Amino acid sequence: MKSLNIVLSGVGGQGIISLANVIANAVLESGGNVIVAETHGLSQRGGSVIVHVRIGDVEAPLIPPGNGDLMLSLDPIEAARYSVYLKKGSMIFVDNNITPPPLPGIKIPSLDEIVESLEKEGFDIIVVPAVDEAKKAGNPLGANIFLLGASYQTSILKEYIKEEAIIDAIRKNLKKPEKNIEVFKRGKKWAEERLTS
Amino acid sequence: MAHREVLAEPGSRVVMLGNVAFARGALEYGVSFASAYPGTPSTEITEALSYASRILGGPYVEWSANEKVALEAAIGAALTGIPALASMKHVGVNVAADPLFSSAYMGVEGALVIVSADDPGMWSSQNEQDNRWYGIHAYIPVVEPAGPQEAKTAIIEAFKLSEKWKHPVILRTTTRVSHTRVIVEAGEIDIAKIKRKGTFVKNPEKYTLVPVHARRLREELVEKWEKISKDLSQNQVLNHAEGNPDSETLVVAIGLGYRYAKEILATHGLLDNVRLLKLSAPVPLPKSLLLNEAEGREKIIFIEEGDPVIETLSKALFYDHDIRAKIYGKGTGHLKKTGELELHRVEKLLAKALGLEKTYYNQSVIKPEIKLPPRPPVLCPGCPYRAVFYALRRAVGKARIRPIYNGDIGCYSLGVNPPFQMQDTIVEMGGSIGLANGMAHAQDDKVPIAIIGDSTFFHAGLPGLANAVYNRSPMLVVVLDNRTTAMTGHQPHPGIGVTARGVEGTELSIVDAAKGLGVEYVKVIDAFNIAEGEKEFYEAIEYVKKERKPALIVAKGACILLALAAGRRVGVYPVAYRVNDDKCTACGLCYKAFNCPAIYSKDDGKAYINELLCTGCGECAQICPFDAFEPVDEVPPEWLRLMREAKPS
Ligand SMILES: Cc1ncc(C[n+]2csc(CCOP(=O)(O)OP(=O)(O)O)c2C)c(N)n1
Ligand code: SF4
Ligand code: SF4
Repeated sequence: MKSLNIVLSGVGGQGIISLANVIANAVLESGGNVIVAETHGLSQRGGSVIVHVRIGDVEAPLIPPGNGDLMLSLDPIEAARYSVYLKKGSMIFVDNNITPPPLPGIKIPSLDEIVESLEKEGFDIIVVPAVDEAKKAGNPLGANIFLLGASYQTSILKEYIKEEAIIDAIRKNLKKPEKNIEVFKRGKKWAEERLTS
Repeated sequence: MAHREVLAEPGSRVVMLGNVAFARGALEYGVSFASAYPGTPSTEITEALSYASRILGGPYVEWSANEKVALEAAIGAALTGIPALASMKHVGVNVAADPLFSSAYMGVEGALVIVSADDPGMWSSQNEQDNRWYGIHAYIPVVEPAGPQEAKTAIIEAFKLSEKWKHPVILRTTTRVSHTRVIVEAGEIDIAKIKRKGTFVKNPEKYTLVPVHARRLREELVEKWEKISKDLSQNQVLNHAEGNPDSETLVVAIGLGYRYAKEILATHGLLDNVRLLKLSAPVPLPKSLLLNEAEGREKIIFIEEGDPVIETLSKALFYDHDIRAKIYGKGTGHLKKTGELELHRVEKLLAKALGLEKTYYNQSVIKPEIKLPPRPPVLCPGCPYRAVFYALRRAVGKARIRPIYNGDIGCYSLGVNPPFQMQDTIVEMGGSIGLANGMAHAQDDKVPIAIIGDSTFFHAGLPGLANAVYNRSPMLVVVLDNRTTAMTGHQPHPGIGVTARGVEGTELSIVDAAKGLGVEYVKVIDAFNIAEGEKEFYEAIEYVKKERKPALIVAKGACILLALAAGRRVGVYPVAYRVNDDKCTACGLCYKAFNCPAIYSKDDGKAYINELLCTGCGECAQICPFDAFEPVDEVPPEWLRLMREAKPS
């Protein structure tokens, strides 16, 4: 039994579901099996969102707490919230921008505080400037795909998904495919440079 | 949303949402009529069929006014001999329960499948009801797919079952079946079949449920029920046993429970050791199959999503047949009754029953110490409701009444949270006006304010309003006309005129409906205009106080997401607002009392706007006492028009 459990998290409207759809289609193209459990309905109105992506020899839709292998997150608060789904030592790729919940008078932790707290638990945190870089590339909604690019090179994703399959899945499933492919490549490059420096 | 993959090439393998797989299955079977009222987690089935119908020219698809009408329409269609589908969320079946019970007595001619999408865990619902009870209660077989992987096959089998027995069939899905994507292989769609029309052949002895007919039909129904049970015992596609026939343990895995059972047994290498009975058509209980499989076992384990329905029925059956195995399930307290199944919970049950080691799924979880703020869903930046709540609150203050806000089901339910807290009751669709009727007469010094959405008004608001006029219930009814059914993903409704097939329908007027029902005080206001709202709400409340009769105000302004989508289609975009730092006095009104999610406070207490989130509604500019908000550019008049008039496509 070989499987990969990926937790995707963020805030409603950030493109978490379309990221999951790209990953799922890339797995299909790569000849694998995939199950994606999504959050719909109420939580999409700016609420917190988690999507469970299970790849390989899996049957059930939900990742049990403590069993995720990898997390991609577009919000540090949500990364921390759903880290209970991860195994000890898992990699967390997270954007550096915090979207503060719009509640009057609440305390928002800082990125440093969140990273420190997650590192203390033994997670491997990689802070990715996905939103900023996607904006720079003229594709502010492409942060999700930048994050995928940034995580692809260094994580176990490679064992399950071929790079051409991701490109193909972006082409078939996203609007403005060329712009998103560009953002995916930039994400990969960002990770390569980070690793070698 | 379109869900284009519903029309994937025959033979291709595609990633599909469970709900889209249901739609595909219905098309492959040849469904010719589909009606529905939107409700999470059922909505995408009809959205996908709506897309298919626009491309293929069939089947007939409609968004009905409510679930009762949707089911009645589907029964009507099925009586003409064609296969019909009615889809709704679990609580929708409550609304449709009256025709549901009758449909079992009459049976159908073509085929009739009723999708009930249950929501264990209550991700977007007010309760966790398990609608398999309806199947038992109403004598309607229930098909329950073993996960999204079986969605397409299961709905086809449900139609075949209905066609074979000329009887309605409930397809019970749940959130994790409906909203999970898996790889599905597409089959053939016969376009002639989905476009076919039926012919009604009169048969009053069957189709008119007067007592003399109903008594006879009741006898036939009870007999048929036993026959269907036998049939389900033999239906190898939906119900079958696998694994070791001689095992002392039988795992009965119902619906999605099968996926959990299978994954855990596989993880422990036990698939060949125990006996696994997969039940995807559990109602009526396939008695002979169950008895055959249960005979001689020492332990019997039940895994099902929802209540211990099948466990309870089976235990009664076992009692009658002297089967005395040790039972493990929700009914025996070995598995939690509330919420959804999860691998670690199911594993705990199996570990207990089979004496397994503490295992992989139950490893300790890590919880970081940092305190995290909650992130509940909120009204979108630019939502017209924020302006309406704000104006209404000011009017209520001015009128010096002690209001009760009888809320309802829709995006405006979010008004329950700070800063507004203007939803004192939320019961069910239409409950706002309904409860206000009681509150108006049960108390002397209060003015109930019923807050109801446009879709909900047509769904279940009309009878309550008729009652308020008839019984002279002093209340203010605020109809939030945001031009759509927003919460479920922006479907049209009778007040919009657009239909599910994309052809034009008739646009009903809320004002005319209210006047037609006899409401004497009816006004329309611009939802985005706070001063106008305050004035009109105040005057309406004064009217209710004085005349002791209902007044109704329609607050019209498009859901901002709808306006943005309509704008994108024609190249019209909003202009964001910004805060003039010289004018802002850091009073905090905008981010505390008004609370648009695009407005934040800086360290010095002054406001600033996240331009990426701002939708340019201009509401903040109306509430700031210091005139600190201004658009960054000239606001296009076409945008202002779309904010008032946008419609779903
Ligand atoms: C009986 C029933 N059917 C369907 C639903 C699902 N549902 C929840 S909110 C909602 C939308 C109501 O639309 P509207 O009143 O126009 O409010 P909006 O979401 O647009 O604010 C629906 C259909 C439900 N909760 N109960
Ligand atoms: S979806 Fe529309 S109606 Fe619902 S909160 Fe957002 S703007 Fe308001
Ligand atoms: S214009 Fe003002 S109230 Fe409207 S979305 Fe922008 S910041 Fe919010």
